[in-house]
Amino acid sequence: MISLTINGQSIQAEPGVSVLQAARQNGIQIPTLCDHPNLTPYGGCRLCVVEVKGLRVPMASCTLPVSQGMVVETETPGLRQSRQVILSLLFSERNHFCPFCQVSGTAVTSDCELQQAAYHQDMTHWPMQPQWNNYAVDTTHPYFILDNNRCILCRRCVRACAEMSGNFTLGVEERGAASVVVADANLPLGQSSCISCGSCVQVCPTGALIERSSAYQGSQSQLTVTQSVCAGCSVGCGINVMTRDGHLVRIEGDWNAPVNHGVLCKQGRFKPAHEQRQRLTTPMIKVDGELRPVSWDEALDAAAARLKGVECAALISPRLPVETLYAFKRLFKDGLHSHNVVSLGGEDAGAEYAAHASLPLEGRLDMLSHADCVLAVGTDLTNTHEVAGFMVKRNLQRGVKLIVIAPQESDFANLAHYVLRPGAGSVADVLDALSCAARGEGSAGGEGFAEGEEAAETLTALLRSTGLEADLVQAAAQALAQAAAPVIVYESDLYASPDVAASLVRLAEQVGALDAGRKGLLSLKGSANSLAAAQLGLDGSLVTNGSKAVYLALGDDELPEYLVRRLQAAPCLVVQAAYASSLTASADVVLPSAIWAEQSGAYLNLEGRLQQANAALPVPAGVSENTAVLQSLAQRLQVALDGDWRAELAVRPSLVTLTLN
Amino acid sequence: MPKPTISSDWMAGCAGCHMSLLDMDERLLEIAGLADFRATPITDLKEPDKTGVDVGILEGGINNSSNEEVAHRMRSRCTVLVALGDCAVFGGVPALRNFCGADEALRRAYIEAESNDGEGKIPSDPELATMSTVRALHEVVPVDVFVPGCPPDPDVIAYVLTELAQGRMPEVKDERLHWN
Repeated sequence: MISLTINGQSIQAEPGVSVLQAARQNGIQIPTLCDHPNLTPYGGCRLCVVEVKGLRVPMASCTLPVSQGMVVETETPGLRQSRQVILSLLFSERNHFCPFCQVSGTAVTSDCELQQAAYHQDMTHWPMQPQWNNYAVDTTHPYFILDNNRCILCRRCVRACAEMSGNFTLGVEERGAASVVVADANLPLGQSSCISCGSCVQVCPTGALIERSSAYQGSQSQLTVTQSVCAGCSVGCGINVMTRDGHLVRIEGDWNAPVNHGVLCKQGRFKPAHEQRQRLTTPMIKVDGELRPVSWDEALDAAAARLKGVECAALISPRLPVETLYAFKRLFKDGLHSHNVVSLGGEDAGAEYAAHASLPLEGRLDMLSHADCVLAVGTDLTNTHEVAGFMVKRNLQRGVKLIVIAPQESDFANLAHYVLRPGAGSVADVLDALSCAARGEGSAGGEGFAEGEEAAETLTALLRSTGLEADLVQAAAQALAQAAAPVIVYESDLYASPDVAASLVRLAEQVGALDAGRKGLLSLKGSANSLAAAQLGLDGSLVTNGSKAVYLALGDDELPEYLVRRLQAAPCLVVQAAYASSLTASADVVLPSAIWAEQSGAYLNLEGRLQQANAALPVPAGVSENTAVLQSLAQRLQVALDGDWRAELAVRPSLVTLTLN
Repeated sequence: MPKPTISSDWMAGCAGCHMSLLDMDERLLEIAGLADFRATPITDLKEPDKTGVDVGILEGGINNSSNEEVAHRMRSRCTVLVALGDCAVFGGVPALRNFCGADEALRRAYIEAESNDGEGKIPSDPELATMSTVRALHEVVPVDVFVPGCPPDPDVIAYVLTELAQGRMPEVKDERLHWN
C-alpha cells in the first residue's frame, strides 16, 4: 500500500491507482468531466487538476498515479480559479447555450455534467463569449443525434465505442479547437459502421449525443428507474428501465450488472422504445369467422372449453419469465398431459446432450473477456448475442486471436484472424481437423486421434473432405494450442448432431480448454429463458399433427413465418399474446397479455445465472399478466399450478453450473 | 433615509424575465415597501431618472444600436447594474443567430418563413436600429450582478431585489444558480 496525504487527510491506496481514484475511495470529491469510471482515464478536460507538493504546475489527478509520501491539495483558491478558466474556455468553444438543451436543468434536475460543473464552481456567467463556430448536426442515425456544437471533446464516446463494444466507429477529426467527433472517415452516422449499441449516448456528459425517442421527455431526476434484466437474448444484460408516468422513456445499461457492466446492444437499449407493433387490449373470440371483443371471463371460458379433454399441443416463448414457463409446464404437461409441450426454439439449449455428457462442460460468460484465443463455431456474434460479441471484439486489439468456423460470411467472421469455411464436409470434420493439427502442435492431452503417421493421414483425409487449406488449419490450430485461456463459443444447435458435439469436446480437451477445472466451452442457448425452458423439459420440437387444439403463449415475441403458417393450419388456436399479428388475427381465442417490461420474473441466462427482472410499467387496461392468464385458465381446467420452480430447474443435468439463488 | 430606487428596461429578450419578476406575487409589495420602483417597461415612467437610480436591471442581450443606447443609458444612470436572465447574462436565444449571421436569420424569418405569403420583404426603413452581433450585457457595459436563468426563478429575483433594496450585494449561488 502507498501512503499519501490529500487535503491534510492521510490515506492509503493500492499502487497504480490514480490520485483521483484514491481520493474517491476516501470520500474526497474532485470535479471531473472527461473521466468515466468504466473507461480508461484520458486526462483531456483538466478539470480534475490538483496541486502536488514539489510539482511546479497543477496536475490532472485522473492520470496521475499515487506515489509514496505524496502531498495533494484539491481545493485551493488557485485550483478553483484554474477550474473556472478551464470551464470558461470550454464554454467559449462551442454552442453551450443552455435554455433549449435536452440535458439542461437546475442543480437538481440538470443531466449536463458541464452545466453542473459550472454550478459547482459558482459561475454566474461566461467571462469569455463563444466563438460562434457552427457545426452540422448529424441526424442520420435512427436512434440518436450527434450535435458537435454541444461537444466538449472529452472523447468518452470514442473510448466507449472502442472499449465497451469494440466497434471503433467513433473518432476525432482535425486538431485543437477544430476537432470534431466523426463516425468512420467522417461518414454520416446512419451510413457508418455504427452498430447502435448506444454506449456513446450513455456516457456523453453533455447534450452532444442524445436519444431521439427520449429527448425532452424529462430529466433523470424526473424519471423512475427500475433495475431489470433484458429479455432480448440469453446473455441476460442488466438494464435500468427509465419510465415517467407509466411510459417507457429509455433504457440504459446497468453499470453494476455482473454480466454486461453497463454495455448493451441495440436490441436491449433502443428496440423496445421504438416498438411499432399494435398492442392487443381486449380479449377476443372468433364468432362466424370474425374476432369479437369479449370479457376476460368469456374468453377464458371459451379457451378452457376448447382445450378440455382434447389432444392439444402447447408452445411458449422462451422470452417469458421462469414463473410463466413453469405455470405453462404445470398446466399443459403435468395437468392436461398434452403430448407436445415445448418452447420456441427450445431444442437449441443442448439439454438432450447434457443428459449424457460428463458435466458441466461450460463456463461463465466473462471467460470471453479473459480469453487469449476464441473459437466461434457457427455463431455470428455481431448479429445475435451481441454483448457476448463485444466481449471478444473489444479485446482483439490486445492481441486476442479469433477463429471463426462458419459457412456464411458475417461481420464477425470479417474480424477473425482465421476463417474456416466448411465446404462439402461437416463442421465436425473441421473441428476434427483442428484437433488433429493441434495435436501436432504439441498441445497436451486429448484422446481419440492416433499420433505420428496415422495422425498425418487422418488430417490429410479431413482436409480433403472439408476442402480447407492445410496452412490455414495449421495456423488456427497453433493459435488454439498455444493459447493459455482458449474459449470455444458456439450455437447450441450443434448439440443436435452427436458427432459435432463429440468433436467439440474433443477439440476443447485437445487445446486445454477443459484443463484443470477450466470450462472453456460456451454455447449460446438461444433466447432469454431458453435454458430455463429446457431445464423444465420444454425443449422438444413442435408437433401439431393430430392436435385438436394448439395453445400459444407468445408474450411479446414473434414467430418465424413457417411456424405462423403451421399454427394457422391448426383446427383450433388459442393465442396469448401482447401484439396483434397475422397469427392473432386467425386465432379462435385471443388473450391479450403483458410485455416484458410489465412483468416481474426470473431469467436464467446462458451461463446458468438466475436473475430477477422487475416490472417497470403498469399492465395496460384490458390486458393481463402472462402467468395470471395461465392461472385463470388452470382454475377453469381444475389444474393446480403450485410447485417449486427453483427446485425443478435444478433436476435436469445442465451444461452449465446453475446458480439459482 | 430615502428608499433605494430601482429602474429596469428590456432589450433583445422576450419579456419573460419581467414576467418572472411579476411572478413574485405579494413579495412585490414587500419589495415596494423597501424600495421605490421608478421607470420600468411595465410602469408609466419609461426612462430611468436623469438624476440616477440605485439599482438598474436589464433584461435581454444587445442585438442592435437601440439596445446599445438602452444599455449605456442605464449604466450611466444606475449605481448597481443587474443583468437579469440568460439573454442579458450570456446572449441567450437571440444570440443563436450569431452562429449563422444576421443576413441568414433575416432571410429565414422574413422570406423563407412558413407563414410567409411568398412575397416576403426584409424591413429596411432607415429609422430602424442597425443590427449587430448579439452580445451579452457585460460585453457592452460593466455588470455588477449576474442573475442567469431562462427566466430566473421568481424566488431568485425576490432574493436579489430584497438584498439590493437593503444595500447588500446578493450572491447568486447554489440552489439560486440556474442557467436554464
